Amino acid sequence: MIRLAHVLLVALSLFLLAGLVVAQDYPAPLTADQNVTIRFYSYNLGNAAFGPGTEKLIAEFMEANPNITVEGVPVPAAEMTARVQADIVAGTPPDVAQLIFDGLDFIATNFNAKPLETIVPPEELAAHFEGFSPNGLQLGRLNDLTYGLPFTFSTPVMFYNADLFRAAGLDPDAPPTTWAQVKEYALQIAEATEAEGVHIAGLGGFDWIVQSLIGSNGGQVLSADRSTIEFGSEAAIGAISMWQDLRLSGAHSQFTDAEITEAMFTGNLGMYLQSSAIQRTLITNAETNGWELRAAAMPAFGDLPTTPVNSGSALFMFSDDPARQRATWEFLKFVTSERGYTIITSDIGYLPLRPAIVEDPQYLQEWAKANPLVLPNLEQLTRLRAWVSYPGPNWRQIETILLESVQQAVTSDGDVATIMTDAAARAQALMP
Amino acid sequence: MEALRTTTGGQLQRSSPRSHLLLIVLSLVAVFPIYWMILTSFRADGELYSASLLPGQVTLDHYARAWNAIPMGRMLLNTVVMAASQTLLQLMTSVLAAYGFSRWNFRGKSILYALFALTWLVPFQATMIPNYVTLTQLGWRNSLAGLIIPHASSAFAILLLFQSFKSFPLELIDAARIDGATNWGVLWKVIFPNLRASIASLGVLLFISAWNDYFWPLLVTSHLENSTIQIGLQMFLSTDGNLWGPLMAAATTASLPILVVYVLLQRQIIDSFVKSGLR
Repeated sequence: MIRLAHVLLVALSLFLLAGLVVAQDYPAPLTADQNVTIRFYSYNLGNAAFGPGTEKLIAEFMEANPNITVEGVPVPAAEMTARVQADIVAGTPPDVAQLIFDGLDFIATNFNAKPLETIVPPEELAAHFEGFSPNGLQLGRLNDLTYGLPFTFSTPVMFYNADLFRAAGLDPDAPPTTWAQVKEYALQIAEATEAEGVHIAGLGGFDWIVQSLIGSNGGQVLSADRSTIEFGSEAAIGAISMWQDLRLSGAHSQFTDAEITEAMFTGNLGMYLQSSAIQRTLITNAETNGWELRAAAMPAFGDLPTTPVNSGSALFMFSDDPARQRATWEFLKFVTSERGYTIITSDIGYLPLRPAIVEDPQYLQEWAKANPLVLPNLEQLTRLRAWVSYPGPNWRQIETILLESVQQAVTSDGDVATIMTDAAARAQALMP
Repeated sequence: MEALRTTTGGQLQRSSPRSHLLLIVLSLVAVFPIYWMILTSFRADGELYSASLLPGQVTLDHYARAWNAIPMGRMLLNTVVMAASQTLLQLMTSVLAAYGFSRWNFRGKSILYALFALTWLVPFQATMIPNYVTLTQLGWRNSLAGLIIPHASSAFAILLLFQSFKSFPLELIDAARIDGATNWGVLWKVIFPNLRASIASLGVLLFISAWNDYFWPLLVTSHLENSTIQIGLQMFLSTDGNLWGPLMAAATTASLPILVVYVLLQRQIIDSFVKSGLR
């Protein structure tokens, strides 16, 4: 009798669950007379360099959607997580916020971010994602759900000074494609000129360039099941050893990222692996200081394919109100549309996640012709790997441990294997 | 020529050229960053990273860009109002609290004083969220009240003034009481005038601290028009490159009000620092 009751209970539960799945409600499209205001936190907004492009995005969206008002709130990138957290606790979360990819797991787990699959009907979502770079779409996904829609992002690009190449007897039309060549070229530049040879950015701040290097040498920082820290692996040790060797040999500068950026601006650095987001500033400074800027794809470890990791941000939805959720989705749709990415690329300086618009005369064709430096960056999208966010509340500390250990290894002649395995063990202890 | 200076005993002493030289060098070290900020604000784009101590081509472009990029005038006004109001409120509350602690013995005084001292040790990050939630419930976000009221009192100011009030001679207070002065009269007519130097120097410290506050205005305000100049300066910085020219122009403009206050009140500020022993 009891057994029969259990069976009936399970059957009833399954029936109800099936009904829920079938009848999942998505926020209804807004009617023309339905006025909605959404709050958008952005670290580009208000910034003197990137703000005007973001304001343009908002203005064009509101012009096309007069019943939706977007209240843009400028929040610096470093303080964004704290600000969103404070607002969530205060019961007034923003409807949408621009957050950096490395916090993806924490944002999805702790900030109650809304996956797009729960807000937008599948056919509408699929229709919008048509034309997206398949790799690019993965950047904001976790557990097969899209928590963050990639907004502004870039990849590591090898910028180089063609004039210094010529001065060192190198061919600027043949930039280095492997790290062995980078070392050779950098030593030649350092010897023949007063300039520094090469600099790889990323010893501080965020770990996406470190992840790019480790991945390109066949490794990864976190296991596929997201349970084991792997930056103590042989591949990771090999990647960081290459960096240490560059520095110890004199090919790599001894400066910090901030110092060397200024050296690059003034034409005193041969090669610079840095975010493509810096491109606009580099172009301006190269023109002002009279040297020729060029760009190449990230160099490889021998014959291994490179796996550039993205930097940048995604847009996360936090609103609980169906009308505001729908209004937010309309906004997300616009900023990641062909027109949206045209503004993001040409006015703000990030990559278009819809690569086809670069050849479309309606969008970026003219701009791309005038800005050929974007091409190596676009080409890297085919090999793009998503920036890994560490799980659990200690994600930031794990990232810091990795960065500090790489810094210790690269700026000393210490044993890289010891440093990296020790760091991996300490980070593993912080995993949930 | 050797200069003469007065010792505390009133005797004249010769000061050596070596000590003058040392002071001149130290002054230059202190002034150089300000000079460099002003110099960079007037440099043309092509000379921003020049090591030259003199400007080549002078331009006002960075000032124009800075004023166009952020609502500088409004942000400066907000900062002046916020810093001045916070300073006045903190001085008022700390004078009253220090007077209470030093003048009367009451049950639980030591515990209460210890609690005040302990709040000074609690980091801002620990109280930030509860304060923010309260402020949101009161509807004070994006307002000057939200910027000012949560900082209306300062444990640091109370502790500092308590030490000054404690050392005030009780005989003078007793004499005033015999003359019929009320407690309020004793505070404002006897103690306050005599401790004006300490209170003024504390006021300077509180004003500078409020002027430089960054995180709280960032949290409380959502629009640059309602925010302070420290938030405005941040808008010229980013992980993808800093706009040094406009940043230096904005920083120079932002430091002008403080510089004007200092130039006008230089004598009083130095006197108050020397008298109160504050550094």
